[in-house]
Amino acid sequence: MNAQRATGLRTVGAIALTLLLAACSGKQAALDPAADQAATIGSLWTLMLYVCGFMYLLVLIFLGNSLWRARHVLSAEPVIHGSQSTAEKPLRMALGGWFGLILVGLLVLSLGSFLIDRSLANARVDDALKIKITAAQWWWKVEYDAETADKRVVTANELRLPVGRPALLELQADDVIHSFWIPNLGGKQDLIPGRINSLLLTPRREGDYRGQCAEFCGLQHAKMAIDASVMKQSDFDTWQQQLAPAAAPSTPEQVRGHEIFMSGPCIACHQIVGTPAAGQTGPDLTHLASRRTIAAGARPYSFEALRDWLRDPQTIKPGNHMPQVQLSDSDLNALTSYLDSLK
Amino acid sequence: MIALASCTVVGCHPSEPNGATQLNTVANPTRPAPGSAPPPGEGPANISVPDSASPPEDGQWTMPSRDYANTRFSGLDEINTANVGKLQLAFTFATGTLLGQESAVLAVGDTLYFVTPYPNILYAVDLNAPGGGLKWKFDPKADAASQGVACCQPVSRGPVYSNGRIFYNTTDAHTVAVDAATGQLQWKTRVGDFNYGETFTMAPLVVKDKVLVGNSGAEFGARGWLAALNASDGSIAWRAYSTGPDRDVLIDPSEFKPFYPQYRGTDLGVSQFPPDHWKIGGGTVWGWISYDPDLDLIYYGTSNPSPWNHEVRPGDNLWTNGMFARDPDDGHARWFYQISPHDLWDHSAVNENLILDMNWEGKPRKVVVRPDRNGYMYVIDRVNGELLAADPFTYITASKGVDLKTGRLIHNPDKIPSQGKVVREVCPNSPGAKDWTPSSFSKRTGLMYVPHNEMCMDWEIKPVSYIAGTGYLGVNARFYPGPGDHIGELMAWDPVARRKLWSVPERWPVWSGTAVTAGDVVFYGNLEGWFKAVHARTGEVLWQFKTASGIIGQPTTFRGPDGRQYVAILSGIGGWAGAIVSSELDERDPTAAKGFGNMVGELKKQSGIGGMLYVFALPR
Amino acid sequence: MCSRYLASLLLIGCSVLAGCEREQRAFHDQAPAIQSVSPTSFRAGGKSQPVAKDPEADKYERNAFHISEGKRYYEWYNCYSCHAAGGGDIGPPLMDDRWRYGGEIEQIYSSIVEGRPNGMPSFAGRIPDQQVWQIAAYVRAMAGNAAKTAVPARGDEMKNTKPLTQIPHTPVRTERPKTQR
Repeated sequence: MNAQRATGLRTVGAIALTLLLAACSGKQAALDPAADQAATIGSLWTLMLYVCGFMYLLVLIFLGNSLWRARHVLSAEPVIHGSQSTAEKPLRMALGGWFGLILVGLLVLSLGSFLIDRSLANARVDDALKIKITAAQWWWKVEYDAETADKRVVTANELRLPVGRPALLELQADDVIHSFWIPNLGGKQDLIPGRINSLLLTPRREGDYRGQCAEFCGLQHAKMAIDASVMKQSDFDTWQQQLAPAAAPSTPEQVRGHEIFMSGPCIACHQIVGTPAAGQTGPDLTHLASRRTIAAGARPYSFEALRDWLRDPQTIKPGNHMPQVQLSDSDLNALTSYLDSLK
Repeated sequence: MIALASCTVVGCHPSEPNGATQLNTVANPTRPAPGSAPPPGEGPANISVPDSASPPEDGQWTMPSRDYANTRFSGLDEINTANVGKLQLAFTFATGTLLGQESAVLAVGDTLYFVTPYPNILYAVDLNAPGGGLKWKFDPKADAASQGVACCQPVSRGPVYSNGRIFYNTTDAHTVAVDAATGQLQWKTRVGDFNYGETFTMAPLVVKDKVLVGNSGAEFGARGWLAALNASDGSIAWRAYSTGPDRDVLIDPSEFKPFYPQYRGTDLGVSQFPPDHWKIGGGTVWGWISYDPDLDLIYYGTSNPSPWNHEVRPGDNLWTNGMFARDPDDGHARWFYQISPHDLWDHSAVNENLILDMNWEGKPRKVVVRPDRNGYMYVIDRVNGELLAADPFTYITASKGVDLKTGRLIHNPDKIPSQGKVVREVCPNSPGAKDWTPSSFSKRTGLMYVPHNEMCMDWEIKPVSYIAGTGYLGVNARFYPGPGDHIGELMAWDPVARRKLWSVPERWPVWSGTAVTAGDVVFYGNLEGWFKAVHARTGEVLWQFKTASGIIGQPTTFRGPDGRQYVAILSGIGGWAGAIVSSELDERDPTAAKGFGNMVGELKKQSGIGGMLYVFALPR
Repeated sequence: MCSRYLASLLLIGCSVLAGCEREQRAFHDQAPAIQSVSPTSFRAGGKSQPVAKDPEADKYERNAFHISEGKRYYEWYNCYSCHAAGGGDIGPPLMDDRWRYGGEIEQIYSSIVEGRPNGMPSFAGRIPDQQVWQIAAYVRAMAGNAAKTAVPARGDEMKNTKPLTQIPHTPVRTERPKTQR
């Protein structure tokens, strides 16, 4: 019995430790800050850990002490303490001290929270990169501002940021309330229809990160992720300049795929800059093939994943607004080749 | 100051029309003290129409605007303020069509010509036949499917006569030339493609040997253009687009000299739109064109950018919602002035440009005067495109004024629409303070007679995809009357003093054109069907006649073969304001007809559906 | 003891029943295979030919998911730009009882897919079949002809037509064509 219990305890402990450590590093880890804002929140978290950890330790010690001292008391006669008992005064002092400690602890936490919130709210940098993010069910539309309108970049489900430069995200929603959260980079901010919220992110470390929608928004809320990449300023500039129009189809199969796209229902919802397709209700596909995932994180990007998605989006993400369109196998391959060429 | 501010909030009658300070413009109250025109006999001081653009009276009416200056002034004075009260019906003629009749009725020799809405039949009415008989009619066999991409009913604003031929446009984007005597087709050219939302509604203008035509369709993502067809055979001589690279817009830096710096640059028609959006950028040319023979320049305005949802198209959206001056022989642009940069409200700038010579600050100046949809009366130097004045002539909340130094319209930041929010009380609404309905100018009184409206709206933008052949709007709108006790009015505006003198109030929006005569009578019609004659100096309504259906056409007057003066008008409600009635829409939906559903449902009781020509004269 | 046992059984039973779904949501295409439907019931040789009511098609106007999706696509595919919120504009109204080409759901489907001669474009190949049925179900709802338990109650957008749950049932009436010569 004891051995089994010990094994069980070990398993539970291992799982708990894994879960605990999962937040410590990785591409969707709140405790692995890669930006100023996440670091600020991380530091608040650490403060909370120490203060509450300290209090918790004290409670454990006190509890342990009581249990230890109560070992013999249980078998003895109950003793009634009068008000002149020798145990009263130290008990009162201890309780008073404990009360004071709680006050101080809460004060420290409140002050810390207030100061950090204020610093996050006050941070307004004028030369920030301006990006507008519109959330729809169940994808993210990302638009980069530019000095002239024709240099704007529109993409979907990915956010590319230059390291070291603040980025001011303007957040809007098309239909219901969503919430934007890239744990490595910053806190959550809701996207509310009819309202413009903003979020400042100042990434400090290059790398790939993952974010997701943090407010239940319908059937596929769980599959509404966003891929964030932080890169050098020069790489970012290169990316920003290789804009529209989309690559023209080169091989015969891609040409055929292009025809299928333009003559079918695709153009009613999707946009590929440089072609007649100018739909706005679905994600922009101009540079689809250079994204890390498809369908807002539903699958990592690959030719096969794209083909599976095109064959039947409703199996991968049931209830999403892209309908299944029946295509023959050769047509499907052609269409996938074309979209795969849109780097 | 506080009173003014609270007035604006509550929506009552501020004495300043837009309730806000105006930059460098003269304050213009909407209800000024009554003034009067100079007494009869003396022409107006300080303003005139150049003779080359407005030849002497010959008793005919050969183009809808009457002359190249767009005055719609007739030198006939047999009908005058003393006897117009006795005007009576001379004859009528049934058009056989039941949608909005916007056509002007031309009078050439002893024949009247006008065009119906789709199926765009051209009628020639014989004035020699007693009671007006049909001489011939021409059916261009326009494609029925094009009715589906006509934003505000498939109307036609009329034909134009030149050199023995009648030229006019059809809904399915063709221009036809018909022999004026026999009605035989001379040529028919397909100028646009209705599968991409391009249609025609405007009346062409013939300048020298070119027939100038411009498309409609900015509500469908059509790219706007003005084309010149050779009058002899209908081939396309040049086409000037309103968006896109300079070589399409026919901008040659050696000839193009805009007055303001924001129009100087390369390919601004591309960079002022998101990538590739200029291809579906709008800027159609469906309004009026003027021509100055001395300067040899044509003047016209481009319409709104598409879609109506402005968040889809950041940038100034050049060259939409502005005025071009071009050389009519090769179409090259001379200057441009943008009336509403990055338009928020469908305030298309296609209204008439009156060519006038006036004394400006002591010196004679060649200008165009145009009342615009956004509520400002613009005075622009027609030689170089400099903005001289932009005075509000109606109640405005959508903008705060026009900066005369930079020429830019200042949008009201409180009213800028954004996704998911409803913006309320936007005045003027999208049909504007004055839609396409043309004003007229009297050479005797020196006044402009402007049919205009005071309407406001609620406006909400939504995401919208471009799907060729379908509407490209992205907006829900709902219209309602502006402050005041009436919606429409015929206003007499003094372009020299830059203020309103008097007005004739109308319960409903005024959607007809105007014409003024040397007899000092102004003619116009209202949506209930009343055709009215107004004293050009005092604004007194001297005569009116109830036609069977609302009037949205353009009145014309001419001398018949018997030497008498006649006045002609088409009666038949429709167009944007009247679609509720003749398209039989359902006013339970306030967003029907893009917002008119909320406002004109009652009109169904006051105007029948019709399509009739009425011609009036004094009794013998 | 027995009553407690019975009570817990009853409770479990209710919970199980409450978990039953109100309706099925068909994410995959279950569109009925109707090719075209006549816009008129007038049949030569006597005996009028009413529009065949396909039970599959009928299901669409009783399913809340399909009608709400139809409302979404009605806007996405720009139906709104010609028909407004049912009041009409460039195209005729869809909320009244007059139908040029028939107002049953099968006839509405046909009109959308085939197009009609006076300006209704054909959406064949541009809107997938199931979405056309969903849009047709929403059009029926605009005229009050879909199941009242399935129609959306009130939208967030600025429209201010009555909520679809309150629009009375409007029986279909064929409209005579306009005189346009």
